[in-house]
Amino acid sequence: MQAGSFIAVAFEVTLLVGALAVLLVAVVANRNRAVWGPVVGLAFATSAVVGLWQWLEVESTGGGLFFSTQDLAFVRSPMVVLDGFSALAAMILGTVGFVAFLGSWDLQAKLGKRAAEFSSLMLLGVAGLHMMTATPNLVVIFIGLETASISFYVLAGFTRRVKGSNESALKYFLLGSLASALFLYGVALTFAATGSLTIYGANSIRNFFSTELVSQPGILLAGLALMLVGLLFKVSAAPFHQWAPDVYQGAPSGAVGLMAAGVKVAGFAALGRIFIGGMISQIDTWAPILAVVAVISMVAGTVMALVQDDIKRMLAYSGVAHAGYLLTALVAGPAGLEAMWFYLATYAFMIVGAFTVVSVIAGPGAASAPIASFKGLASRNPEMAWLMTVLMLGMSGMPFFAGFVGKVLAFVAVNDAGYLWLVIVGTLTTVIGLAFYLRIVATMFSKDDDGRDRIEVSMNARFAVIISAGVTFVFGVVPWPLLDVVRNAFPF
Amino acid sequence: MPILSILIALPFVGAAVVALLPKRRPEVILPVALGVSIAPLAVATYLVVEYSVDGAAFQFFEHYVLSERFGISWTLAMDGISMFMVALTALLFPISIAASRSITSKVKTYMALMLVLEGALLGVFLALDLIMFFAFFEIVLIPMYLLISMWGSERRAYAALKFVLFTAVGSAFLLVGIIVLGVLAGDAIGTSSSFDWRVMLAMDIPETTQMWLFIGFGLAFAIKVPVFPFHTWLPDAHTEAPTAGSVILAGVLLKMGTYGLLRFNLSLFPDAAVDLAPILGVLGVIGIVYGAAVAIVQPDIKRLVAYSSVSHMGFIVLGIFALTSQSLQGSVFQMISHGLTTGALFLLIGMIYDRTHTRAIADYGGLAKVMPVYGGIFLFSVFASVGLPGLSGFVGEFTILVGSYLTLPILAITAGFGVILAAVYLLWAYERMWMGPVNPKIEGLKDLGFREIALMVPLVVLIVALGVYPKPVMDRIQPSVEPIIERIEVATGYEAPQFGRIADLDDQNAAAESSHEGGDG
Repeated sequence: MQAGSFIAVAFEVTLLVGALAVLLVAVVANRNRAVWGPVVGLAFATSAVVGLWQWLEVESTGGGLFFSTQDLAFVRSPMVVLDGFSALAAMILGTVGFVAFLGSWDLQAKLGKRAAEFSSLMLLGVAGLHMMTATPNLVVIFIGLETASISFYVLAGFTRRVKGSNESALKYFLLGSLASALFLYGVALTFAATGSLTIYGANSIRNFFSTELVSQPGILLAGLALMLVGLLFKVSAAPFHQWAPDVYQGAPSGAVGLMAAGVKVAGFAALGRIFIGGMISQIDTWAPILAVVAVISMVAGTVMALVQDDIKRMLAYSGVAHAGYLLTALVAGPAGLEAMWFYLATYAFMIVGAFTVVSVIAGPGAASAPIASFKGLASRNPEMAWLMTVLMLGMSGMPFFAGFVGKVLAFVAVNDAGYLWLVIVGTLTTVIGLAFYLRIVATMFSKDDDGRDRIEVSMNARFAVIISAGVTFVFGVVPWPLLDVVRNAFPF
Repeated sequence: MPILSILIALPFVGAAVVALLPKRRPEVILPVALGVSIAPLAVATYLVVEYSVDGAAFQFFEHYVLSERFGISWTLAMDGISMFMVALTALLFPISIAASRSITSKVKTYMALMLVLEGALLGVFLALDLIMFFAFFEIVLIPMYLLISMWGSERRAYAALKFVLFTAVGSAFLLVGIIVLGVLAGDAIGTSSSFDWRVMLAMDIPETTQMWLFIGFGLAFAIKVPVFPFHTWLPDAHTEAPTAGSVILAGVLLKMGTYGLLRFNLSLFPDAAVDLAPILGVLGVIGIVYGAAVAIVQPDIKRLVAYSSVSHMGFIVLGIFALTSQSLQGSVFQMISHGLTTGALFLLIGMIYDRTHTRAIADYGGLAKVMPVYGGIFLFSVFASVGLPGLSGFVGEFTILVGSYLTLPILAITAGFGVILAAVYLLWAYERMWMGPVNPKIEGLKDLGFREIALMVPLVVLIVALGVYPKPVMDRIQPSVEPIIERIEVATGYEAPQFGRIADLDDQNAAAESSHEGGDG
């Protein structure tokens, strides 16, 4: 093992140690939240700092492959990599995890004695997510995917006595397992066709494409298609999105934010690494496929979001549309990675913030959150109403909010790659999307006839929403610092 | 000193100040907001005074690179066209804010939104970077949406959403156009993209591309103006908006569309502009006649004025696409004049609505006996809007008609009938509301107070001043529109007809004389 290569796995180690420590501390402290809560926060905060440390390391040394053949004789290919992708993902996931944990604090209060397990699952889930982004090996991606997915299956069903939560967990588990299986099958077929599990480097899939002449592409194509479907399922791109609305609606609101944000970050990082890192030579084959999926996602997500009466379902469908915009960036190839990362970094905060607001308004464990429950929020809690407005405008892609920058970057890149029709569809769905985001805003600012009481928000949830809205606004007005960072996240 | 940046920043800072005012003192909010909105007016006045008539077309230039790689910059500059739009914006906002006494709920939010709106509008008229322009253009929607949907009348939710969706669909095409154009501009100067208007101006775009881009940009602006048949959002939005919202909507927001047509469609896509000008001219004239005809039958006075806007904006569109120097000057002048006259009408309707809470024409009658001062000012505004000689509306419409006659004579003649129709709908409405026996519903209404008259004074003075002595304004508009025509002439070989030039007359005389001499010899 190379000296100092601990840094490559430091993020996962931090979170795993944190997860175990939480369980231990909780037992010792008689499950007193005031004692183990800070441990979780500390673990997430440390992991974000580790991400920064990794980033600085990548900036100074260029990172590299770790646990590769030179280190361990029995491993034929590198398993862990430290590069711009993994370090950036570490920073985003660590911070988003921290914010999501703050946002889920109300939920944890309701969970009582089981809350410590909930938090440790959050930590484990984020560790798994990051594993997906920090490896050039397809099997490790799968392991990370499963680690994260299993944690999230449990989180979705954590409020056992709520019927919707059980439904949500079961649906997520059954369909999610199918997706994982498809992905694994794809990995196996790809291995059969190319003889490699490594995306790039020596003896890699990338080399295979540049050296071999593929005469019978059947198995290879099937493998790639299955891998693609598996990952598209996880990031809830249409037409593989049907699970998302049910799962988001039933799962406790405090947990959905992390599920929605984290899986998108990790899933797109993996997609980017596999397709742009490993198969850039085949871009003419896969880019049109992704373009079609992007269009279906943007259109289906937007249209379905229009007709939802439950804000959790609406956010789920809007997430489908956002997957479409992110895919648009991927279609552009390497030039679109910057847009993809900017979009991911900001969208992750927006969705976590939005679900935190939902959990504040509709109750942290509630299995449904009708849009009507937001009525008159502006008078019941003006601060939340304004912050939610910022988040909604950010998601809708209004200028001066972060969503606009991400979308424009993606559209510029994909237009440069010759997909003008994708830009047209994208901007049109953005406009239609305005209708349902503004509907939330209008509902919040409409008069509340029932004269319900003021909504009190816990310090932690408030903090989570303020951070998310702050990110949305600040990077919308001054996106340049973040743009400079994401530009350097290009490892291949 | 980056005076234009300061000008844009002032209302935003003001909005923050207003938002931080204590909640317990609602009575100080309006004065503070008013005071804050005076600051941009002062700056705008300074700019109007300092603007050099003989200087470069664009003055007070500011340029800060925001992103080298994407070619995005904070570029601001002011020519004659933007100067008057800025001045109009800066003038109408303090008046609208002062006229918002009837807003009693969430005053702080209301004032903050008004100021945000002002900042965004100033940005639209000053930005010369297309991404910045788009950002300001688009962000205008949000405060306006909230103003209509929170303080509007009965059907406000419907009207607000309709307004946003219509204009946002246009913006979608605009954004696609800007992105395509930005990448093209980048290719031209060897970067990945550039959104600098000046780079685009120097570019040579193939004609088919120009056509598509013209349509993309044109759709966005045509919806905003609104050009027939994209006008259906306007009557709803104007009618449901609170008074100040209607004033700003009619006075300034619609001008974003015509400003965009002038600044981008004509300047950047000259070939397409020449090819498509007759079509847009026809749409403009349809708007004039259709808007006026529909206005005649409106039972709601606010809706009537809203349709009259459709009609008046049709004149501006006709003037723009007649593509002569005179017609463009007339259009810009009419943009100013329409802002003042329609602003005045909406303010006056708001004042009466505050008293009676009805907009139905049938609920009034004999108002001139009950409120003589009000009746007088209203009649004055009606005359200004109809285009009575001596008032500003006449100068604008007359110049447009004269200029348009050179290239689109049939359309110009048809448009002339619009002027007559305007007299019909406005004077007939005046007759029904102000003349005749006093409707018992409005007996005993108080006439305008000092504060209300004071609000109207600046508008009335400007309408008269511009109508009697338009030269200073025209002198500043002309050097700004002539480069547009010249660019079209250079790029396409199109020759804009002109008349009224002494030099031309001399040439003709000389030619006549020489031919005469030749005949002798």
